Amino acid sequence: MRNTMFNVLHPAPAVFAPRVGMFVLPGRKPVHTPHYLSLTSRGAVPHLTQDVMRDYTSIDSLYIALEDFIEKAPDDVPPLYKMQAEAHESTLRKFTCLPEDILLVMGPRRVPPVFTPMPNTGTAISILTSVGFRKLEAEDYIEAVRKVRPDIVVGLADLVVGLQSGIKRREKMVDRTHAYTRDATKQLYGDVGEPESESSAVYFAPVLPLENTQQMLYLDDLGDELREHISGLAVYEASSLAIVPDKIGCLPRLTLSGPKTPHEILREISLGADLITIPFVGMASDGGIALDFIFAPPLEDGSSASKPLGIDMWSPIYAADLSPLVQGCECYTCTKHHRAYIQHLLSAKEMLAWTLLQIHNHHTIDCFFAAVRDSIEAGTFTEGFLAFEQTYQPSLPQQTGQGPRRRGYHAQASGPGEPKLNSSSYDQLDDAAEKYAEAQSFVPTPDVSAEELQISGFAVKDT
Amino acid sequence: MAAKMSVAARKQMPSALTFDLLAKCSQTLLTVQVTKARASTLHLPHGSVPLPIFMPVATQASLKGLTPEQLAQIGCKLCLNNTYHLGLKPGQAVLEQVGGAHRLQGWDKNILTDSGGFQMVSLLKLANVTEEGVRFLSPHDGTPMLLTPEHSISLQNSIGSDIIMQLDDVIVTTSPDRERMKQAMERSIRWLDRCIDAHKYPERQNLFCIIQGGLDLDLRRKCSVEMAARDTPGIAIGGLSGGEAKDEFCKVSVIPTSMVDTCTGLLPENKPRYIMGVGYPEDIVVSVALGADMFDCVWPTRTARFGNAITPSGTVNLRHATYADDFSPIVDGCTCICCRPIQQGGLGITRAYIYHLAAKETVGAHLLTMHNVHYLLSLMDSIRAAILEDRYPAFVRDFFNRLYGSASKIPIWVVNALNGVGIDLLAE
Ligand SMILES: [Zn+2]
Ligand SMILES: [Zn+2]
Repeated sequence: MRNTMFNVLHPAPAVFAPRVGMFVLPGRKPVHTPHYLSLTSRGAVPHLTQDVMRDYTSIDSLYIALEDFIEKAPDDVPPLYKMQAEAHESTLRKFTCLPEDILLVMGPRRVPPVFTPMPNTGTAISILTSVGFRKLEAEDYIEAVRKVRPDIVVGLADLVVGLQSGIKRREKMVDRTHAYTRDATKQLYGDVGEPESESSAVYFAPVLPLENTQQMLYLDDLGDELREHISGLAVYEASSLAIVPDKIGCLPRLTLSGPKTPHEILREISLGADLITIPFVGMASDGGIALDFIFAPPLEDGSSASKPLGIDMWSPIYAADLSPLVQGCECYTCTKHHRAYIQHLLSAKEMLAWTLLQIHNHHTIDCFFAAVRDSIEAGTFTEGFLAFEQTYQPSLPQQTGQGPRRRGYHAQASGPGEPKLNSSSYDQLDDAAEKYAEAQSFVPTPDVSAEELQISGFAVKDT
Repeated sequence: MAAKMSVAARKQMPSALTFDLLAKCSQTLLTVQVTKARASTLHLPHGSVPLPIFMPVATQASLKGLTPEQLAQIGCKLCLNNTYHLGLKPGQAVLEQVGGAHRLQGWDKNILTDSGGFQMVSLLKLANVTEEGVRFLSPHDGTPMLLTPEHSISLQNSIGSDIIMQLDDVIVTTSPDRERMKQAMERSIRWLDRCIDAHKYPERQNLFCIIQGGLDLDLRRKCSVEMAARDTPGIAIGGLSGGEAKDEFCKVSVIPTSMVDTCTGLLPENKPRYIMGVGYPEDIVVSVALGADMFDCVWPTRTARFGNAITPSGTVNLRHATYADDFSPIVDGCTCICCRPIQQGGLGITRAYIYHLAAKETVGAHLLTMHNVHYLLSLMDSIRAAILEDRYPAFVRDFFNRLYGSASKIPIWVVNALNGVGIDLLAE
């Protein structure tokens, strides 16, 4: 197992309180925590090509889902597994053309995961690839980790997406997760004989979204027998942060709970989260929303939690507005472009809108985390959190315009009880809408071929 | 009729460009004729551009997801915006308030706009051309509308593009109706005069005329002479891209080369010549030999969205399963940022990665767009270098052999067109 170093700098490691730290993996940029992992889709940060990411963002750590790469496995060997790499290289990194110094965290599923109709089993979990639902065997996941060599692997957990689980089911969740973790760590680092055949990926063990008492045995084992193989914890709900046993309190904690607001991020940080995944950043960009919040806002008299957390750039009131998205923002989008352009790009359905918003929204989050770290060090985090709650609205603004096409694997976590984001009628409508938009984009241009028109759904060839 | 107005009575037209002709193909011992290829530099309000040039089409003030910096990084110094689109969104009022298209899209290099007429006529099936202008139904609510030469110029004045185009009466080049063709040609001359009169900023925007006349060489000749007399800063040859249904897959390209040849033969040597809506790499290589300087086409960017990569031996569809585990660059040895290895400051993008993203993530399209536009721009660089070094005929031969694999597979229209300017592709 590769040497990792995680130092909690402030305060003492075992205290469940906001903490700053530094996560160091040889060869990667050190990550100052609390920090966030940028979410990827099929290995790419949506709308950001590698050069844009390098030139206009500070993105230094990514979360990648294996389910985005293993379409028809095991029947067909996924292209990712066929890629050749030197012993010190990561095929995952090479395949996704990502730079050497970026930290790659791999989990089995996207964040948030899409509900799968088939339940998990004792040896496999249910996943969704771009060609449909299928099973991922625990053994195959371990094999994948060996092959693709991420920096950090999030261990398999038996989770129930979008449903309340009964007592029996909960027991099973713990037993299975315990078994997955034991097998995986044993196979990756245990009796492998030669030290060089050890996996280079470090293991983040899941903590289940259950009460302490329900997973006591498992948690104890993590702190005991499994301790030497574990480099971090992956938690699925904020309250799990409070049940981490002392023995493993110094391990970095990654949250995969999908906070919906910066308030929820602050809550996770207040409970000692170190690395956080934030789906709403990309969702805001897709929705045409420019995030607009800082930590900690100056507390004014009579604050009433009324400041919006973002600006809906679809609004026509910005059509001729030459000011930056957010006054004083130093991101590429705000220093080089203006609201009028973003509004135009959104309304013209030009893809650059999403790129420019992603750059700004990631920058907003960067500044937010940097200020949070400073406040923890200065001992002013709690005041800041309070000021934040008193200043900003409790939820992000409603999206009014249409975003990019959402595909099946983009859908949000949902249970069978709630309407699935891509219910069939929605999907059809969506499909029709996209075809219409594509057709529209063809209308005013000169030399589109009949084939292209046909592909776009604009017309069929008359034969 | 306006076309018969004396030159002296016409408004004197200032120019906002200078044109430096640097090199032409010269006669060699082996050839009797010489190609008409020329290399030059065009100095425009937003910087100098090398000719021959390919202009990528940033239809709605954005090139398929690329930032202006990415576009500049690929080497673009002059791109196209479409007047019809910008007139609809964001609209003239906003363009005026924002201060034009350069300001809107954060692009400090040059922009060329079309008149907007072509798109209405060719795509809005209900468009109807009268002496006043183009009548059409609003694509939004069906309201009858009219685009006049004055309105087109006014819109382009608001856009602030460095090169603006006259409104012309466009009909399909291959239209068999000679009377209609003649009428369109003559009307285009009258509209040019109206455009010249309406043009508010000739000292900072260059108005180009558009030569019409279909495939009728007499009409083209007449139009060339009349329009050259108007002394616009640049000259376009129109009516080429509209009618031809170019087949994306067989790539049956049909540039009416004799017509291009005729026009360029009659045009003044000291002005840039722009062939609108052309084209494919082979169209460009042939048209340069016939004396054209400027080209635009949506094909490289549009085809990228369908997963097609342009390569020296034709296009490759990277959505095809054979590329799923092809870990080579899009094009071996390509110097674009995507294909260059990471060690050389590139991104090290592979075909397998494009396949993985194609049609699923916008990043895949953005990367392929960068490669494709770079391909066209670097093709233009090689063309220009070949002309400057007086080896264009050899370049042309090499280009077509590589594209088609062997001389015998080169389409006959290419062979014939190039024969006319002293290049025999079939010669050993
Ligand atoms: Zn910004
Ligand atoms: Zn390339």
